[in-house]
Amino acid sequence: MHTILEEFLDKWVWPTAPGAPGAAFRWRLTKERCLKGWEISLQRTVDEIEKELPRADEAWKKARALRGYSAEGVHMSIKQMSAQLLSVDLDGQARYIDLQRMRARQIWDECKHSKLHADVLIGKGWVTHERELMDNPLANIQPLPAYFGLSMMFPHIHPLARAAQNYCPKAIACLGIMAHLRLVDDPLVRHEYLSQRDEERMHYMEGKFQIDMYCTTPETQRPVEEALDYLLHQVAGIR
Amino acid sequence: MPTLKIDHDHCTECRMCYVVCRELDINAVYVALEPLHRIEIDARACTYPGCTACLMYCPAEGSIVEVESGRSMVPPPPEAWRRRGSALPV
Repeated sequence: MHTILEEFLDKWVWPTAPGAPGAAFRWRLTKERCLKGWEISLQRTVDEIEKELPRADEAWKKARALRGYSAEGVHMSIKQMSAQLLSVDLDGQARYIDLQRMRARQIWDECKHSKLHADVLIGKGWVTHERELMDNPLANIQPLPAYFGLSMMFPHIHPLARAAQNYCPKAIACLGIMAHLRLVDDPLVRHEYLSQRDEERMHYMEGKFQIDMYCTTPETQRPVEEALDYLLHQVAGIR
Repeated sequence: MPTLKIDHDHCTECRMCYVVCRELDINAVYVALEPLHRIEIDARACTYPGCTACLMYCPAEGSIVEVESGRSMVPPPPEAWRRRGSALPV
């Protein structure tokens, strides 16, 4: 196992509130399913950085910032997160009021991530205003063709499906940030990742908390497992 | 009994600890009126070390500290979550 993944597990995954009712389920999901996806994704990121790093030119920094912007652009973040906010219907509001609060805040958080990528592009002089990114295809595409559509559909499945997305892909984001911070010296790139580190980890923690506290019955665990099936296939090619 | 406090040099005010503490109906984590509407921990209501839940979901390294020892509790040291004999996940 990669030492970055080991560190992440020991610090942020295994520690669990004693008596958390969904913890055994989360541990099982982690061991049986997430670990493999996290390992594949982390190795892919490390390989990419090690391949790009020796070139030490500005082009890959620009490409990375554009890719970050396209993954977390305002248009995508607002639409995806606000649609998922709707997954809690009125009958479920009393039970999931804190889940709604977390999700509502995440709308803003996700938009802020994209702003941080835009700051890098503006700071380097590659664009003069964020508006220019709206016309740049590289700032608006990503390699997960169905990600937007299917994750928009999560609210039609169950309010807790999003917990899988926060727990699994957000862990991948955290691991990617750790990999960049360990391997890259460039202050601009480090800023880009450091500025998002604690917030990505918070979103991961939201998923961890929601699974630990709410996913306590087959009925509340199934939507998380189903969402994980989709996400792990998309992110790591696991069927 | 040891107590916890927020280290505002590290806390990002994400309020995960606030959500967790309320979910468990302990309500020791609160937003202080002064000086900056920041998160604080009411040591009289907090049941640490009986409860360690806020430590498990805090994402900001070093932001919750044990007052008496001065040591950081985030990420949680093993004894904060293993001591009740909970089975190790691996």
